[in-house]
Amino acid sequence: MAQHAWFDRWRDPSEKTLGVLLLAPAFLLLALIVVYPIGKLIFNSFFDLRLSGGTGAKFVGLENYALVLADVDFWNATKNTVLITLITVPGALVVGLGLAMLANLPFKRQWPVRLALLLPWALPLSFAGLIFAWFFHTEYGVVNDVLRRLGAPEPTMWLLRPNWAFAAICGAIIWKTSSFMALILLAGLQMIPKSLYEAAEVDGASRWQQFVAITVPMLMPSIIVALIFRTITALQTFDIPYTMTKGGPGNSTETLAMLIHKTTIDYLDVGYGSTLAVCMFVMSMAITAVYLRRVGQSA
Amino acid sequence: MSRRFALAAGLAALAVVALCVMPLQAQAQTKLRVFSGGQNQRPDLMRKLFDQYQKANPGVTIDIETGGATSELQRQYLSTVLNAKDPAIDIYLIDIVNPAQYYGAGWLEPLNAYVGEPATALKSYLPVYATSNVVDGKVAAMPAFADAMFMYYRKDLLAKHGVAEPKTWDELAAAARKIQQAEGNPNLQGLSIQGAPIEGAVCTFLLPYWSQGKNLQDASGKLTLDRAAAAKGLQQWLSMVDSGVIKKNVAEVKTPDTVNEFKAGQVVFAINWSWAWDRFSDDADSKVKGKVGVMPLPAVAGGKSATCVGGWQWAVSAFSKHKADAARLVQFMSAPAASKLLAAEGSLLPTTPSVYADPEVLKAVPWFKDAAAVVVTGRSRPLSRDYGQVSDVIRTTTSAVLARTKTPDDGVAEIGSRLARVMR
Amino acid sequence: MKLMDPRGLRFIAAAIVVLNGFFPALWILLTSLKTEAELVAKPISYLPHNPTLQNYVQAFTDQPLLRYLGNSAMVAVGSTVLSLFVAALAAYAIARLNLKRRQLILTCIVASSMFPLVTLLVPIFETMRTLGLLNTYTALIIPYTVLNLPVCTLVLVSFFHSIPKDLENAAMIDGCTRLGALWRVVLPLAAPGVFTAGILAFVNAWDEFLLALSLNSSASMRTVPVGITLYQGEFSFPWPIISAALIVAIVPIAVLIALFQERVVGGLTQGGLKG
Repeated sequence: MAQHAWFDRWRDPSEKTLGVLLLAPAFLLLALIVVYPIGKLIFNSFFDLRLSGGTGAKFVGLENYALVLADVDFWNATKNTVLITLITVPGALVVGLGLAMLANLPFKRQWPVRLALLLPWALPLSFAGLIFAWFFHTEYGVVNDVLRRLGAPEPTMWLLRPNWAFAAICGAIIWKTSSFMALILLAGLQMIPKSLYEAAEVDGASRWQQFVAITVPMLMPSIIVALIFRTITALQTFDIPYTMTKGGPGNSTETLAMLIHKTTIDYLDVGYGSTLAVCMFVMSMAITAVYLRRVGQSA
Repeated sequence: MSRRFALAAGLAALAVVALCVMPLQAQAQTKLRVFSGGQNQRPDLMRKLFDQYQKANPGVTIDIETGGATSELQRQYLSTVLNAKDPAIDIYLIDIVNPAQYYGAGWLEPLNAYVGEPATALKSYLPVYATSNVVDGKVAAMPAFADAMFMYYRKDLLAKHGVAEPKTWDELAAAARKIQQAEGNPNLQGLSIQGAPIEGAVCTFLLPYWSQGKNLQDASGKLTLDRAAAAKGLQQWLSMVDSGVIKKNVAEVKTPDTVNEFKAGQVVFAINWSWAWDRFSDDADSKVKGKVGVMPLPAVAGGKSATCVGGWQWAVSAFSKHKADAARLVQFMSAPAASKLLAAEGSLLPTTPSVYADPEVLKAVPWFKDAAAVVVTGRSRPLSRDYGQVSDVIRTTTSAVLARTKTPDDGVAEIGSRLARVMR
Repeated sequence: MKLMDPRGLRFIAAAIVVLNGFFPALWILLTSLKTEAELVAKPISYLPHNPTLQNYVQAFTDQPLLRYLGNSAMVAVGSTVLSLFVAALAAYAIARLNLKRRQLILTCIVASSMFPLVTLLVPIFETMRTLGLLNTYTALIIPYTVLNLPVCTLVLVSFFHSIPKDLENAAMIDGCTRLGALWRVVLPLAAPGVFTAGILAFVNAWDEFLLALSLNSSASMRTVPVGITLYQGEFSFPWPIISAALIVAIVPIAVLIALFQERVVGGLTQGGLKG
């Protein structure tokens, strides 16, 4: 190359030095923002630290963890969280993949379709919840209005029945996050060379065969990346159930993140809240470790 | 050479003088930062009062910081900031339910040294503040403005159908039913209450309970739940839902919903805060102008009328660097004169009984004459260092019972067992 | 049948995607043109009876919405650029260099997103206060960069993996350094990934609430999501005004996406990769 830009003048350092240099900014930022809070979090989880008590922190070792394991609310919240994850992660994947493939079709004007694809992700999460709560409102909601016009006898009280509320919440989450999946998958679809499809056409493969043999394998890295983050955020689901039902009716739609939020901010029980957060981390780690291995191993 | 020397000496002298004078001025200038709520806490009127104070006290400047439009958002913000012991803000405007919890967490400065012992400091205020603002014998906050839940009703409809003001809940249910049937409008609600799991749902639980003459806690703060009475109270709401007086999806109703629906003429009786009055009588799109009456909440037969008290309080941050100045400002802001301005210009309920009878206030806000009778029956929600938890338990369970996912007996049993752990 | 031919099918496909994405935004738009009384009308009204722009006027006058937009823009742009920069470097190291513990490094970066933000709030607040950064753009740019780092890094790692090494090797034989190869060869080929990561980071930063509430609480430095919560009150929730503010908040992102969606389509990839 004839041109010499400023970074061309650097001598090529060894791989290890280069690695350290390249990773330094990331780890510096993480150290500044995340390491101290996480450290403090883990530290606090071994203390009985309730601000409302007025007394200072009392060391209790693993007692908080024992309390967590015996806590009915914890298991209820975990059950809800795991259910939401099991429903919305595959749901968002399927819907997102469908949307991405539809958006990938050759249109004369791409931008309306692409914009429609990404708009759900752009709507602030807290307001998406409020809007869907309104859609599912018994009296003023669009869903019941449409059902009424289709002849339904009685308006369903969506957010007042545990199962329906759960379904409504999952629907809202899938709507919003399928956009996130579609964004990543669409980019991945762009990286698949058209020549592969052309060659398959020539060989007489059907659309379905092309999908299974070309699209899915070549899209797998993107799918895994999308799944990792979708899963992590699914386990941390907070905004949508919080704004739609506040965990109600009762606590049938309360997620683990909501329980942590309540414990830390409303109950001012910092020690126990930290313990719950560590448990959530362990769960997230366990579930996503499998995915992460595949990403690290590919290529 | 000498001219330059003289010039340099003159400048040096000026500099020395300036340096001596400036710190003096800086010392005399205290800057106080006040955290006020959102629009409903009227920062514009607070600004007027602060300007009055600044004129009378030239060494003090006051900055308002707005934020946290609702009690919930406020708590989210304050939990972080006060948890981190931030000294940036000197005075907080907090909800009436918070002094006990925030004082217990060590976030509020006790004001006894500045305003006196509770007995003297709070003597001239409404009786409820003697308990809600005092924690362990210390004055934790001073009243800013009061609020209470009122029973609003369509006096035109009651007059039209010859119904008298109901004094008991049963009378109210019967009156509502009679009017609903006579009007024949399927969208007309008899009574609108808040059943969503918001803070107001604590009041929805307490109102029928209190009106049976029961207490939720004794003087020491211990839980004294009469389970039968509580279940009866919740069942009272449910039977009104069954008879069509209250709408079926009451567990979805939040405070603004009641106001909007009453304003649109869809409700006969409504329980709501004092803010609603101005919406009904002043809003451009109000269909009920001039048709609204206000009365004390009904009781159960043989019981006593009781209402839920609200309102906001001024508190000094325990981490403030100007505690004495802040306390003095708080005293000013909670004085009857300030209460009078807030009442006359903002329709905010006064915190001192004498202001309710003030002729200037009554000229600006005539309905306060009726309001006084209601506010005096006001009682505070449970006072507890763990109010966050208490409120959560009561409001979530009440909403679940109103949504019919729990029976009243199960709901009360759950409230009892959870609160017993907290309110010891 | 006209419906079954490719153009008809494509139209249906487009309609599905567009409807799915736009209907809440459409609802918000319609609400922003109504008055509050219309919202409790029965049966519910879809189109506004008397469309009014009063809500937009109030959205801008009740609060300094323009100021909030400016703050959000500064913070979002700043953190996106910084995220992409840091993530690109880290992703290149993980994907291309033969580092022994690269799996662990990637796991650490991703693991930082596994803690709920609400539990990290107070320490982050204390850190920013100690550094004297409260109520500045930096106070938000740095945490947002960290929040977006896992997604950006992972996306870029995955895209870097899928680019064959031959092109970089060719460039390096021609005299390019590794960093030069990153800038000149890898990033352009991974353009879809870069723009995807950029859009994700931008939207995340634009919509973030908790940190913005706690760190930048003063009115002059507030961001849009926090500002929008201030239209409501203890007793009031003015949907029409809030809807107007939401439309104003979404429009910049929509414009950004419309402008950059072209780049997510890697027209450049077709030439460089071997079949």
